[in-house]
Formats: sequence, C-alpha cells, structure tokens
Amino acid sequence: MKKGIFTTLAVLLVSASLAACSGNNNANSGASSEPSGNAGSNHTPAVEEVVDPFAKFDEPVELSIGRGIDPNYKYDGTDTAEDNVYTRWLKDKYNIVVKHAWEAATGNDYQQKVSLAISSNDLPDALVVNETQLRQMVKAGQLADLSEVYEKYASPELKAVYDSNPGLLDSVTFDGKLYALPETTLPSAPLTWIRKDWLDKLGLQPPKSLEDLKNIAQAFIDNKMGGDATVGIVGTQQGGSLSANFLNSTDHWYNFSPLFFANDAYPGIWVKDKDGNAVYGSITEETKNALSMMRDWYANGILDKELGIRKSTAEVVASGQTGIFFGPWWSAYNLADSMANDPNANWRPYAAPLNAAGQFNSNQATGSSYIVVSKNAEHPEAVIKMTTLHKWGKDEEYKTLTAGKEMTSQEVPLFLILGAGDQLEYAVNALRDVLTGKIKVEDVDQINYGWAYEMATHVQAIKKEPFDNYDIQYFDQQSDPGFFTHIYAHLNGGSTFVDADINWVRSIATAQTKTMESRWTNLKKLEDETFLKIIMGSEDLSAFDEFVAKWKDQGGDTITKEVSELE
Amino acid sequence: MIHRSFAKHFYIMLIPGLLWLIFFNLYPMYGVITAFKEFNPGVGLWKSPWVGLENFKYMFELDDSKIIFRNTVVIAFAKMIGNLIVPLVFALMLNEVKNRLFTRTVQTVVYLPHFLSWVIVGGMMLDIFSYSGPVNQVLESLGVEPVLFFANENAFPALVVGSDIWKEFGFNAIIYFAALTSINPEMYEAAAIDGASQWKRLTKITIPSILPVAALLATLSLGNILNAGFDQIFTMYNPSVYSTGDIVDTWVYRAGLIDFQYGLASAVGLLKSVVGLVLITISYVLAYRFANYRIF
Repeated sequence: MKKGIFTTLAVLLVSASLAACSGNNNANSGASSEPSGNAGSNHTPAVEEVVDPFAKFDEPVELSIGRGIDPNYKYDGTDTAEDNVYTRWLKDKYNIVVKHAWEAATGNDYQQKVSLAISSNDLPDALVVNETQLRQMVKAGQLADLSEVYEKYASPELKAVYDSNPGLLDSVTFDGKLYALPETTLPSAPLTWIRKDWLDKLGLQPPKSLEDLKNIAQAFIDNKMGGDATVGIVGTQQGGSLSANFLNSTDHWYNFSPLFFANDAYPGIWVKDKDGNAVYGSITEETKNALSMMRDWYANGILDKELGIRKSTAEVVASGQTGIFFGPWWSAYNLADSMANDPNANWRPYAAPLNAAGQFNSNQATGSSYIVVSKNAEHPEAVIKMTTLHKWGKDEEYKTLTAGKEMTSQEVPLFLILGAGDQLEYAVNALRDVLTGKIKVEDVDQINYGWAYEMATHVQAIKKEPFDNYDIQYFDQQSDPGFFTHIYAHLNGGSTFVDADINWVRSIATAQTKTMESRWTNLKKLEDETFLKIIMGSEDLSAFDEFVAKWKDQGGDTITKEVSELE
Repeated sequence: MIHRSFAKHFYIMLIPGLLWLIFFNLYPMYGVITAFKEFNPGVGLWKSPWVGLENFKYMFELDDSKIIFRNTVVIAFAKMIGNLIVPLVFALMLNEVKNRLFTRTVQTVVYLPHFLSWVIVGGMMLDIFSYSGPVNQVLESLGVEPVLFFANENAFPALVVGSDIWKEFGFNAIIYFAALTSINPEMYEAAAIDGASQWKRLTKITIPSILPVAALLATLSLGNILNAGFDQIFTMYNPSVYSTGDIVDTWVYRAGLIDFQYGLASAVGLLKSVVGLVLITISYVLAYRFANYRIF
C-alpha cells in the first residue's frame, strides 16, 4: 500500500519538482546578484579604458559551465574535460578558470540537461545551447545582455568574422540587446553518401536522379554487398526525425531530407506556394508525392525496414550492412568506425538525387549552436575573451604545450565554430590549390582563415596522388593521424559540397510563433505519426489528406496566418 | 503500558521516512499551480502570470488527451492483471516442485530481470523483436513473413505489457511464495490422510489460503492504474505507434521538456494525479472491505 501511495505521490506532481527547483534558485540568485552588481561598478569609473582582448586577467576569473562530453573520447594521460592542456593554458596564461557545473553526454543527454537547467532556472554562467533553447531563455529573461562586453572585449578578428556573416548577430539580437554568440554555421546540405567501392565492383555509375538512386540501392541488395541482411538506404533512427525542420534546420545527418528535397518537398519548414503565400511544407502536394514514393521504396525493401525504430543507424553504417546514407559534408568525420571494420570502405558523397528539373535542392540552415551567458554570471567578459582566444590566441607557447595536437570540442570549453562566411569554401579550395602547387602554404591567409592554413600545412603529408581523386586509397591514414580526419572530411566531403550547385530554400519562419507555443507538440505529433505510418504502409496514402485537414483545423491555419505576418 | 513504550521505537523509526515524504513529496506540491499559470522560469513560479483554467481548457480540446489517457489506462490495467495472475500461477506451479535446489535456483533466476533498468531491457526487446532478430528468424523458418513488431500499433501494447510481466513476474511472485509457506502443513497432512488428490489439495487448500493475499495485491495495485511506465515506453516507442503507445507521461515529457509548454504539461500531469488519488482512495476502501487491510 505504502508503495502505491508513494509512487502516486511522486508522480502526483511531476511539474511540482520543476517548480520547486526554480523557487530555490530564485532565492539564491537574488543573493548572488548583489556582488555581481559591485563587480560591474568597478570598471565604470575608468574613462573609456581600452581593453586588450588578449590581456591576462589580473585576478583569476572563475566561470562555471555545463558541458557536453563524448563518452568515447580518449584524453591524453590523466586529462579530463575539465582539466586538460587547453584549460590549463587558459588558466596559467589568462587567469580564466573553467569549472564544470555539470557534464552530460553530447547529443540528446546534453540537450535534455540544458532544457532542465532552463526550466529549473538553475543555470551555470555559460552554456552552448540550440536555437529553441536560446529563444526560450530570451523569453524567460535568463540571459545577460552581451552588447557592452562584446564591444569592449571582442577582438577585431572576432568582430570581422561576425561582420563577414551578415545578419548573424542580428538574429540573436532581441530588443536591441545581444543575447548570444552564434556559431558561424558551416552551410550544410544533405548529400548522398555511397560506398564507391561497391559501385565500382558492380560497374555502376554514381546517381543523378531518384531513379538512379533506387536502382543502386536495389543492386546493392540483390548482390548482397553488405551480406544477407543488406539494408538499401538507412536513415532515421528511434527518436530521430524524418527530415530537417525549421527548429532543427541543420538536422541532416541520418535522415531522409534528400528524398523530400528531390521531390521539391520541404516538410517542416515554411515555404511560399506558387501564389507567393506562406505555406507549411509538410502539407503540400509535393510532400505527399515524396511520401508516396518513399512508401513504394519501403515496400520494395529499398529503405531500411526498421526506419524510425532502429536503435542506432550509425551501427548499420559502421558494420558495413549498408552502402547508402544521407548526411552533410562533415559526415566524413564519422566514418572512422566503418573504415576500421572494412579498410576498403570508400564512402563518397554525391550532390544527388536531383529533382525532375535537374536541380539539387536543400533547405537553408538557420542556425545551430549559440554560446549564451546567464544574467547572473559575474564575468560575461571572460566568455567573450575565451571565444577570441580559442580562435586567435594560439601563440608559440600554446603550440609547445599541445605538441601540435588539434584541440577539439572535448578539450576546448564553450567550443564554437567561428570563421568567415566562406570559411569552408576557402579551406577546401586552399587545400586543393596547395596540393596542385597552384599556391604555396605560405600564401594561405593565416590571419582570416587560420584553420585553413593549419590544415594546409598538413595536407601534403596526407593526400596522395592523384590529387583530384578523393577515394580513400589515395589518402595516407598513418602519416599524420591527428589531421587525417580533418583533411579527409574537407577534401572528400567538403569539396563535393563546395562544388555543388545548390538551390537553397529558406524557411519563412525560423522560430515559434505565439500559437505554435501551445499547439506545436500536438501538430508535430500528428505529423510524425502520419508520415511514418504512410511510409511504413500501416496507413493508406489517403491518410495524408486527413492529416492536412486535421492539421489546419487544430491550429495550423492560425499559425500559417501568423507566419505570413512575419514577412 | 508495555504496549505504548514499544510503539515509541516505531515512531522514531518513522522519522526518516516522514522527512523524505515531506521534502520530496509534500513540499514540491505547491508546484501544482504551474498548471494554472503561464510559467516563465526566468521570473520564477510566483511571479509568472496566472492564466486560470486556460491550460485545462486547451487540454480537453485536444484529441490527444483522450488518446493518451486511454492508452495509459489500457496499458496500466493490462499490466496490473498480468502482474497479478502470472506470478500467482508461477508461484503455485513452483510450489508443487519438491526439489528445493531447483525451486531456489529458478526463483533467483526469474527475479534477476527486475534489477535491470528499462534502458537495458528496452534495448534488448528492440533487438529481439527487430526485423532480423531471433523472433523473426524463427517465424521465417516457419515460412512466415517477418513482422515489424515495434511498428505495429496492435502489437505494441502487447509487447509493452508482455515485457513488463517478463521483467517483474519473478519479483512479484515473492509475496505469493511467502503466503504459500505460511499455510499450515497440518492441513495438507490431514487432507492427505483423508485421501485428497494433489489437485484437490491445490484447489481446496492452497488457492483458498492465498486468495486474500491475491485480493489484497489486486486492490492495492489499483492505485497504479495511471502508471503505465514512462521509462519503459520511452525507450521502446516511436511515432508510428503513438496511437496506442503514447501515454500521459511520455506526452508530458515531450510537451514540457522538449517544447517548453510547462503549463499544459502540468495540467495534464495534475489531472493524472487527481484521478490517481481517487483510485487510491477507492483501492484503500476496497482493501479494507475485502482483505481487512488498513493503514490508519
């Protein structure tokens, strides 16, 4: 009996515990805001002091952060995410002490932890968040206005980067206040990754149309290229989405976005119909066609039989059971397991499938990661400084300490991809030109494209002739393992993406409108459920029309109206 | 009186449990007001604006609400029944086995799954019932087309209930084993002398003797009728089985923590609690009537 009562009481108010936490922390934050006010007033009397963005803090400055950690990452020696070469360098050289308020595994766990932290108002000084979380935090008034510290502490290089990405800072400025440092999103369109060694073995050409892609998948299955249980095309796994959407616009890895795009369908984002009116991509005729095609492919065994249910798509790719998946150019970073299991695995990306008119379509990503600073943080300037240092603070001392090893997001706290708007294009072209001898390594713009220069110094040791062939056998994986993955990803994945002629489609809305805030859970559920069922054949295609009617009725029409007013 | 001084110990022993209850269950209860507010974590619960019954109104407008409550009750009820009957039958069967070593071993082995978390068991189930998993291999060798169990709306609740019973029946049987050992062996001896068969002894002595225990467990588990098991379903479901597999807790999770609809999520959670409270009261009264079990 007791057990029954306790469990029911425990469940009684799931929400209650949330609320309780927030109550506590309000009390705390009230107390702690006092000293921060004093700290703030310290620097006001100084008359327009000029701050050197690379100067050491006089006193050790402590900064608490929440941190996503890759559980499989191997640190050097006894190093940890909190205490490693990089953080020690930050501390000794700049007096910035980074403390972890909490750690969580990267991916879903981290996102959940961040959402919980937001809901309970129990925030560390700084965090890396996604777009939805950023907006929630802005709405809740949890963030510090960074305008002033950014002006003062950001190095000219950092400012130049944001200036070269027009509109980026505006997208995180609300009511004239700068609330985040956005990642300079590396543009991403989902490419089709195919085992070229399998194509060659079967004497097939890379795909252009949807039909080609289907035939290749069929050939892989018929010839049992991945064993008896060869999976044609893998994609969405359990808990994942079928395609990118406006709230998760960069979500192209391991899902089926390209199959929609090649049908001129853009589910999950707001597009314009032929009359120029805003319409939700998921309810268009094109999306219906795409679903109908995927339904056929699924029935014929082309698409993974266990799409949406599978525990791990990565596992299928790594085990060599499949020869086709969809992912952005950087997917090459995640092929190590596959190549370890089968040294012949020669994954190549293709800007395909094309639509009927021969165009390669993609939705345009709106944003991905943001560094935000809690309004209770005592040293927001330390965050700005760290961001500058991560990119431009690497002096000779740093190079000796790290022994040439490239620090990743696992060592660098508050890691953010920062670069000029054309950084990827520049890097890929620089690498190619250095290889062919068109330019020398010294000619690479080290100031504005530091990372490209860094890679250029390593590329010659890794890429073998012929320089314009990016098959795996023309890379030397052993000579410089620290840089192989970077070079491989940029040359193999990056080059295809940079050279592709992409028809970008941008979502009209990039954030939730008023009505969406209350209706979206329901509408999203309706959509996810219907789409998956149609593809898997447990519902007829006609269920799509019912879905459209219901979607409109249950708030979709109101939301569409709100979206059209955004323009 | 001896009696009273004896009872004092019990009250002292009660303190840690009471404190736990107050801090973790009673104190957070003021949070129910989230359901009546537009909660903004930045300004805190007290300063968030009131919205009256707005959240409840919207909840009842949603088709989803009916579906998730229905799913919750169906799954939880099936689990309740299964978790009563299967362990009972299992305990009776094992009771008939006279080899002590054998019964002990079986008992230990079957209650082991109870100690595994759903994250592990859920993953195992997904593998076992996957397209190329053992179950489908068996079906295939019998000439049956492989079935995608976890994408099948009709199969999903059965899988949820089945795996829950599999995981818990060994543990749940412990109470029955205890009840069985408390049956006076003299009754069996007397029956044997009177010439009662093994079957007669089972139906006339064993079953009637543990029936009150079964009735008690049945009424008590009523309080759990709205707990369909979040962690289990969360690790096993996918959008194609939302219509039969989405329960109140998973829905509240998505609305509250993924989409930040705190008010709505709390309103749904609160309704669940109120229904749960009513059911607990009923089960207490029933337990008192039929099994003479009382707390107060």
